[in-house]
Amino acid sequence: MHGLRFFVLLSLVLNLSLNLNLDLARGSGLAERVIEHRLANGLTVLLVERHQSPVVSINFTFGVGGIDEHTGMTGVAHLYEHMAFKGTRTLGTKDYERERPLLEELDHINANIETHREQLRASSQDASGVDSPALQQLQQAFKDAQKRADEWVIGNEMAQLYQRHGAVGLNASTGKDVTRYTVSLPANRLPLWAVVEADRMANPVLREFYKERAVVMEERRLRTEDNPNGLLHEAFTAAAFQAHPYGFPTIGWASDILALTPSETDRFFRTYYGPGNAVVAIVGDIKPPEVIALIEATFGKIAGTTPPPPVVTVEPPQRGERRVEVEFDAEPSVLVGYHKPALGHPDDFVFDVIDSVLSEGVTSRLYHRLVREKRLATSVGTDPNSPGVRGSNLFTISAVPLAPHTTAELEAAIYIELDRLKTEPVTPVELEKVLNNLDAGLVRSLRSNGGLASQLAYFQTVAKDWRYLLKARDRIATVTPADIMRVAAQSFVKSNRTVATLVRSASARNTSPAAQPTSATPKAVTP
Amino acid sequence: MTKPLATLCTAARIMVLVAVMVSVFAAGTQAASLQQAQKLQSDPRQMRFEPVEFNPPEPERLVLENGMVVYLLEDHELPLVTITATMRTGGWLDPVDKVGLAGIAGTTMRTGGTKRMTAAEVDVALEQLAAHITVGIGTESGSAMLDVLKKDLTRGLRIFADILRTPAFDPARVELAKLQVIEAIRRRQDFPQSIAGREFEKMMYGPTHPFAREDTVASVSRITRDDLAAFHARTVHPNGMILGVTGDFHRAAMLAELREVFGDWPKGEVLPIVLPPPQTVGADDGRAQKKILRFVRKGTSQTHLRAGHLSVKENDPDYPALALLNDILGGSSFRSRLFQDIRTKQGLAYSVRSALRVGMREPGVWLVRAETKLGSTQEVISRLVSNLERLREQPVTDAELDEAKEAFVNSFVFSFSSSSAIVSRLIGLEYDGLPKDFLQQLRDKVVKLTKEDLLAAARKHLYPERLRILAVGPPESLLRVLSGFGEVEEIKLEPEG
Repeated sequence: MHGLRFFVLLSLVLNLSLNLNLDLARGSGLAERVIEHRLANGLTVLLVERHQSPVVSINFTFGVGGIDEHTGMTGVAHLYEHMAFKGTRTLGTKDYERERPLLEELDHINANIETHREQLRASSQDASGVDSPALQQLQQAFKDAQKRADEWVIGNEMAQLYQRHGAVGLNASTGKDVTRYTVSLPANRLPLWAVVEADRMANPVLREFYKERAVVMEERRLRTEDNPNGLLHEAFTAAAFQAHPYGFPTIGWASDILALTPSETDRFFRTYYGPGNAVVAIVGDIKPPEVIALIEATFGKIAGTTPPPPVVTVEPPQRGERRVEVEFDAEPSVLVGYHKPALGHPDDFVFDVIDSVLSEGVTSRLYHRLVREKRLATSVGTDPNSPGVRGSNLFTISAVPLAPHTTAELEAAIYIELDRLKTEPVTPVELEKVLNNLDAGLVRSLRSNGGLASQLAYFQTVAKDWRYLLKARDRIATVTPADIMRVAAQSFVKSNRTVATLVRSASARNTSPAAQPTSATPKAVTP
Repeated sequence: MTKPLATLCTAARIMVLVAVMVSVFAAGTQAASLQQAQKLQSDPRQMRFEPVEFNPPEPERLVLENGMVVYLLEDHELPLVTITATMRTGGWLDPVDKVGLAGIAGTTMRTGGTKRMTAAEVDVALEQLAAHITVGIGTESGSAMLDVLKKDLTRGLRIFADILRTPAFDPARVELAKLQVIEAIRRRQDFPQSIAGREFEKMMYGPTHPFAREDTVASVSRITRDDLAAFHARTVHPNGMILGVTGDFHRAAMLAELREVFGDWPKGEVLPIVLPPPQTVGADDGRAQKKILRFVRKGTSQTHLRAGHLSVKENDPDYPALALLNDILGGSSFRSRLFQDIRTKQGLAYSVRSALRVGMREPGVWLVRAETKLGSTQEVISRLVSNLERLREQPVTDAELDEAKEAFVNSFVFSFSSSSAIVSRLIGLEYDGLPKDFLQQLRDKVVKLTKEDLLAAARKHLYPERLRILAVGPPESLLRVLSGFGEVEEIKLEPEG
């Protein structure tokens, strides 16, 4: 099989946007099976009954992610997602009233340390590399306070509680557009979930903040600094977006992560984690009226909040090709991207078709030509929605050369195929294949509770309507060969292109990375 | 403190009983149910639930005249059919000068066409129908899968059967598969975690053991189309194959279709799986009782660590106790000691865990792993080792034991959450020669375990003083840190291709 590690990283949106089906979805009754309920405070609830086994999957999706960040605080959405596992005023603590002053003391000392460091930097005394006695004293005080605060902590209590009740798949992930919390439970444990999650939405406590920040730094090292694909994506996305926050790594720039504070993180939570910005999809062995009553009795007590601020920055048109290189102790690969419109734009559906024609399956154009016929690449893939869908985004092509061929040869071969789209109509057989795979894909996506919950919550969040799943299929079915030629001619031009290549530097072997590596992943997954 | 509330079992049926554990939380607990939503406990720690009782559907098992075993389980929710084939073949059969043969045979069975259809015709037919067929051959088994819309079953099954019975090994597809494997070999030092995983396996089983040996540019280059065809003819037989059929079909019609495509496939000689004994590094040169460290240099920002030693087989009487010990040590993410200590309390790693990997044919591996910034390498190794030592020195706490048992019992239902999960579990057990109620037996043993049982198992089976430790990272300072734990050997990776 031709696995491409890239695509694991890139893919959430790609798979979701293609798994659409109307006829078969109607056949399975999806349109009739989804029950929708909205609480007075704005929380949206989507429910589907499936009684195959006495289990339930829950996908809790918030309309917040890297897109809501700016320089100096990148990574805050992802760090908050980690902190959301630290508990509440009830869970994770032996006594919150005794713990609270210690957390405040820690933040106070940390602020003093930062002020001190800033003064040292300003007076360039830090060139010595030795901390001043005053700073050392503060650091010791910080350690002492942390120790005292730790005495009140019950580590990971929320997760322990879920696990002892049989939870599987307890996890969360942060992307550019959404942050998601998932868990599957024996179906009769749903009241536990409701009580815990309503508490987490209303009363989170950012305990163990500084240690978790260090954990996120380790995550960044693992996913990005030591991973050539992670580094390449980070550099590529940063080059493609000069203004829009999609250019920031979701996990955050290293220096930004280290500068994040509890108060800033808490402010972020208060802005973006209101019930009106959240969707919960529950699929499994449930009785919907009971679940709605349960959610009203728990989440219904939470006050509504004002909607979060819109993302105002618009990426200006690109005026000229951008090329970046990333040096790493690894074999070469290449990423090519073109700006394109966001979800909902009429041309977005045309890119979905182009994506499938170019790279879905071994008979797709790029795989057939580059891998099988010319043997230039060992693998190739595309993504019509990198790195997100809420803002205008990129159509990307990534390819791994087969030695002795080079990334330059791959680029040339890719451009020939993109140019063909502009001049030769896509065949009816190719379009039929796209639709057949789209239809089958939706049916397959209904096989698991978790998969269905994920799709419903995702589209309800980014498209404000889960039925986008069904409607998009109709739109894709109307895409014509002429649409593809028009859109390809508009978009696949050199001046709209960003290219990133992974190269092995002469000194890469056996040396440490640069002191200030530049990097991050397109999608940070945790915890 | 923790005891079964009820046991329900009907003979000869798969019976899943979830729950049975008494909550260890404070007195005054109150049952919560959906009907009582308004009276919900505000403290989730106080919530109690009834056990989940579930009788999952039981698949039918039958054997065709040619020895092919078939499991059938109908599930009419969606218009899809899935057929898996588990085959008694594998990389254990690779000749030493042609390591990689079995893997490439699996790839090219799928891509190389059949007696009836060219390679291109197979691909076009499947992709136009949105049908998926995959074939893969691993070290101890081969597996294939057909995933097709119900309306295309007959056509998909014909191609699937031909791929299994009469693969054509198209020369161009064979050549491409070899080039792709060679490219993967050229790239296998790109990822530090991949290096760590492969070199650790060599420390455990020895570099020539089928579990650890690696294909090379030379070994793959020697493999010919005839080798692949001969390998298939010699190792893939109906009487060495177990089919698992799930989805939207009807028994009688399905059996007729299966007989149509597989019925006249004659039996062959099924090869027993023969593996050489493991040769752990240091076992035969006087270092068996000592820690041994190996180091691979790579310009990374973290030290990528693996440490462990050989352990039991899956049917060992102590396996249930060891499985629970692993859960408590580092197998259960948030709840585990390693996660709590190294990640949550110290902030030294994002990924830290333990694993007890077991099979039926060779000793398993007890493994701990973490990645941490270079400056905290020494502390993380010390904590990994001391957490292992603690399992041998002190019993686990009552709370830890209760939590581990409750999590195991309450999540048990997820082992049976879909038709394909039910069938593939039974096939896996049959392939490994384990009883079909192995999981239920395991659960029954787990709930009876005591702290003393766990301590005894830890003392018998855990050897922190004999760990094999593998580290990938930059050599400056790291070599000195590692040598504090024992003898360090550097592995020099040869550039490939």
